[in-house]
Amino acid sequence: MTATSQAALRGGPGRGSPSPFQPFDIGHATHIAVVEPETAFWGVVRKDRLTETLAGGELLDTYFAKAEAFRREMDLLRFHLKPSAVYFNPTERCNLNCSYCYIPESMRRNGQHMDKATVLDALDRLHTYFRGHMPEERLPQVIFHGAEPLLTREAIFAGIEAYGDRFRFGVQTNATLLDDAAVAFLTARGVGIGLSLDGPVADISDRTRRRWNGGGVFDHVVRAIDRLDGYPGYNVICTMTTQNLPHLSEMVDFLHDRRVPACMLNVTRCTLPGARDGRGDDGAVAAAYIAALEQTHRLYRETGRKLVVANFANILIAILAPTARRLMCDISPCGGGRSFFALAPNGDLFPCSEFIGLPAFNGGNLFRQPVQEILESPPFRLVSGRKVEDVAGCDSCVIRHFCGSPCPAEAHEMNGGMEQKGAFCHFYEEQVRYALRLIADGRHEDFLWDGWDEGTEIACAIGAL
Amino acid sequence: MKLSVDLKGAETKPAAVSRPDVIAIRKTCDAEGTGLSHYVLMDKQVKR
Repeated sequence: MTATSQAALRGGPGRGSPSPFQPFDIGHATHIAVVEPETAFWGVVRKDRLTETLAGGELLDTYFAKAEAFRREMDLLRFHLKPSAVYFNPTERCNLNCSYCYIPESMRRNGQHMDKATVLDALDRLHTYFRGHMPEERLPQVIFHGAEPLLTREAIFAGIEAYGDRFRFGVQTNATLLDDAAVAFLTARGVGIGLSLDGPVADISDRTRRRWNGGGVFDHVVRAIDRLDGYPGYNVICTMTTQNLPHLSEMVDFLHDRRVPACMLNVTRCTLPGARDGRGDDGAVAAAYIAALEQTHRLYRETGRKLVVANFANILIAILAPTARRLMCDISPCGGGRSFFALAPNGDLFPCSEFIGLPAFNGGNLFRQPVQEILESPPFRLVSGRKVEDVAGCDSCVIRHFCGSPCPAEAHEMNGGMEQKGAFCHFYEEQVRYALRLIADGRHEDFLWDGWDEGTEIACAIGAL
Repeated sequence: MKLSVDLKGAETKPAAVSRPDVIAIRKTCDAEGTGLSHYVLMDKQVKR
């Protein structure tokens, strides 16, 4: 046993505390996880070697050698980022009336559009803001979102055309207006395209995603998927509800069969009351989700082709390389109002799209105030200041920096305040357990996209084959 | 809603080869995350 390991077992020099690691049962036959929550540093250890491992050796030595660096890294990730993306809502209106939408119905029916001049004005102001703090070689991102952004197709395409060298663009769309010309325009410019689909057949998908008259849109989305075949920058979001949970693995089969490169299997965000009825029980959602992930792995083994489930990949990355995470929902404070913000059609800024239907979270207006001033506004501070240390139950949770206690909009609106948990605590816990089981079995890379760790450096690699 | 799947069915398959007694992996880079669950932001740039 080394000197530092002995010190750790005793409590470390001057600390007066026991081993920094806390056990976390991952439901694995032979291995258990140990986590130092503050630094998000972990090990997966044979159960019959747990006592010996925590008494000393490479894991403890690495922790003590690098804990300060890991702590600084987490501090930088959690508290010192500046925005580099905007979720740009060019319209409040939508031609669909999906059951779980976080945009209020009155907005989606009668809301306002941006015209072309307003889109261009907004992009100019955003460009000026981002260039003030981002390095030249890194392009800020603009994701046209909604409601349905292609209702303002002429305006946003003009923006993409004019600012293509100054932003990386993306569009999240319900696909009903994504015709051949739109696909040709967007793919020629390398624009990221996200589609939404909730089931492998119309009967399932159309239960939650439908027009105002009740008609389904499944066929539209499938045609868009076919048009995008071979384009690497598109993906499909599936929102998990009680309507499609029993069919989630079939959904994975469907997407893989159509060569969709990536998808998200999202829980229903319960910010607005209408979304809560069909959200599904935590345990049932976790079971169906993990079964679907296993199905993606079987498909990969059979075909050599991955269907990456991006939200799960992000949890794996949060464990393997915390600063390499792409999605910022699963860290606290979340990315809302600090690594990105959302723009409404009238220029109002909100910390995240999830808050657009909540006037109390309007931080100011892009056309009347500097962005920096809005970032410091009380509504933005309320979101960007929400951290797991202040959430009862999360403050002592071992996996608090792998989960982040999402989502603040949900916690505030559904559970009564920012110091409350969101809707899916158990789901996130099971997701992290599963991710650590994959690491224990050496299968985790099969769930990540190739090249996910480009640009990273190895800080620790114990037992990594 | 009663589901036909449960967590037992979602157990990971043990690796054929024995696994190390201790596994710990940590990679590091500049933090540039900007995604949220309403949009898949995976790769850093769409390769055309």
